[in-house]
Amino acid sequence: MLFSSLLIGLREGLEAALVVSILVAFLVKTGRRSALRWVWPGIAAAVILSIGVGAILTFTTAQLSFEQQELLGGSLSIVAVGFVTAMIFWMRKASKSIAAELRGKMDEALAVGPLAVLLLSFLAVGREGLETAVFFYAAVQTAQGGTTQPLIGFAVGIAIAVAIAYGLYRGAIRFDLGKFFTITGVLLVFVAAGVLGYGLHDLQEAGFLPGLHTLAFDASAAIPETSWYGALLKGVFNYSQQTTVLQAIAWIAYVVIVLPLFLRRPADRTTPVVAGSKE
Amino acid sequence: MTLRKTPLAAAGLAALLVLSACSGGDQNAAAGGPITVEATDSACTVSATTANAGNVTFEVTNKGTKVTEFYLYAEGDRIMGEVENIAPGLTRKLTVEVPDAGAYQTACKPGMTGDGIRGAFTVTGGAARQADANTKLGDATKSYATYVASQSDALLTETRKFADAVKSGNVDDAKARYAPTRVYYERIEPVAEKFGDLDPAIDVREADLEEGQQFTGFHRLEKDLWVTGLQDDTAQVADKLVADVTTLVTQAKAIQLTPLDLANGAKELLDEVATGKITGEEEIFSHTDLWDFQANLDGSEAAIQALRPVLAERDPQLVSEVDAQFKNVQTLLDAQRAGDGFKYYTELSQDQIREFASAVDALSEPLSRTAEVVAQ
Repeated sequence: MLFSSLLIGLREGLEAALVVSILVAFLVKTGRRSALRWVWPGIAAAVILSIGVGAILTFTTAQLSFEQQELLGGSLSIVAVGFVTAMIFWMRKASKSIAAELRGKMDEALAVGPLAVLLLSFLAVGREGLETAVFFYAAVQTAQGGTTQPLIGFAVGIAIAVAIAYGLYRGAIRFDLGKFFTITGVLLVFVAAGVLGYGLHDLQEAGFLPGLHTLAFDASAAIPETSWYGALLKGVFNYSQQTTVLQAIAWIAYVVIVLPLFLRRPADRTTPVVAGSKE
Repeated sequence: MTLRKTPLAAAGLAALLVLSACSGGDQNAAAGGPITVEATDSACTVSATTANAGNVTFEVTNKGTKVTEFYLYAEGDRIMGEVENIAPGLTRKLTVEVPDAGAYQTACKPGMTGDGIRGAFTVTGGAARQADANTKLGDATKSYATYVASQSDALLTETRKFADAVKSGNVDDAKARYAPTRVYYERIEPVAEKFGDLDPAIDVREADLEEGQQFTGFHRLEKDLWVTGLQDDTAQVADKLVADVTTLVTQAKAIQLTPLDLANGAKELLDEVATGKITGEEEIFSHTDLWDFQANLDGSEAAIQALRPVLAERDPQLVSEVDAQFKNVQTLLDAQRAGDGFKYYTELSQDQIREFASAVDALSEPLSRTAEVVAQ
């Protein structure tokens, strides 16, 4: 009872914490701590709004129709993919300008602007927020009527997610910028591909896209989402135990297009400058 | 799924609040509040199995040991509503708007896998519909257009890979790609046939060549790969195929289909099966006819799925007939699966072929009536 709630908390928390920790690590590493003040309001806004809407949906009889929910969820997932993709390439561009900085030329680094930093952290947390809030309220209500185990499990799960993300942040801080950039960038490409697939799946469930029952694979026996490793995979990469053909095609297409674009020259160009001695 | 990944952006939140404000109000006519559902690892006990049309609220309590989800399905497994991630010990509410009377199904999915533990659920009466029939028809063509777009994108990607394999002289790889690539074409063939000479250029069979017509497209490459070996102009044919498919994909995405096109297309695909696949004429060199068969069936089913809300409203009897016959053909096909694909046509016995033919005929008959219903 406790464990399965823990896994849900872990899964819901992990993805948001992952994106945010990479964003924070990037800002810290490139000496833009001043932009951090835009991260926290984004997170806070997402948390407050999630809790508010979660409360409305839980404590009133107001309801979105299923299609409305899925359409909203699906389209905003796809918006989030756009933002994470922009972040990946922004990081690439910014890390390039660090090289210029070293040569004494000040940065054009915050070209994307504080609003984008704020929006990105808002989206990363908010994407997970509403479901998390609804789950939280359900757990609180149940706790009033008896058992507190789901609530405890859920809180522990979120705590573990934050701890993992913090560990990742500490680790990422130690890499030189070229390495940091490559590793986290690649990680984010896969995260975004997963979010894209999930968003499309939402739209399939709402009946806006066809093919809900056309599965590419069903790994619910081998890697169930309710196992700890399934929850981890889902939290990080949006792994789906039953993946539709459309999801699979979108995932592969995204990775095949974005990953090579990302890994092309600029990453190589910055490495020697930042790491110093490779040439 | 339901609320799982619901992201929030300022715009989304505003929309949400507006929507929740105006669609509020629990009109659950099944007096006495929500229908309770007790989910365990092996049972799904629903306190009432009928409700009046309108908003129906379920209160799902997970008394099992696994995380569970709860669904309400309309016919054809169309999801009306769902709530997922119900941890053991938790209670979650689900309100579903069910405007139409009819047969529905409830399902608990312990471990969030599989088809779930199903139960029948009947909705009676009728509530004010949010969409009239014309919107439903409009939705049908929109949803089918999305299907065509997704299939044609995949077709182009796979055709390029297939052509590359052919041009690099890698016969084994090209052979392996041949049938899976064609699947995307066969699914949307009625759309392709709307563009004059593109379909012949891409898909003509050697036996159907007319005087002076060039033998190009998939089947020409099929012959080169399986029978004659690669020719001097094989690479050219492969390039032309990619060019033709590219044109097709551009045009297919721009085409405006009518609901009647969908109904007729569903039937045409079945005719394709009857005249080409069951006779083994389509893939005379590679014998991969069953891949095409499945793809035709998929395409036909996709068109019917898009039309389902309209058909179900006007002739529910016909829909269940079509469903049953689709299932029947699919069962026969499934029996011939081998690995990722199917047995070759040459491995089928005469009896099996006859069985296919009569199952396809039985499906064809109700399918041919759908156009009439759509045209009403």
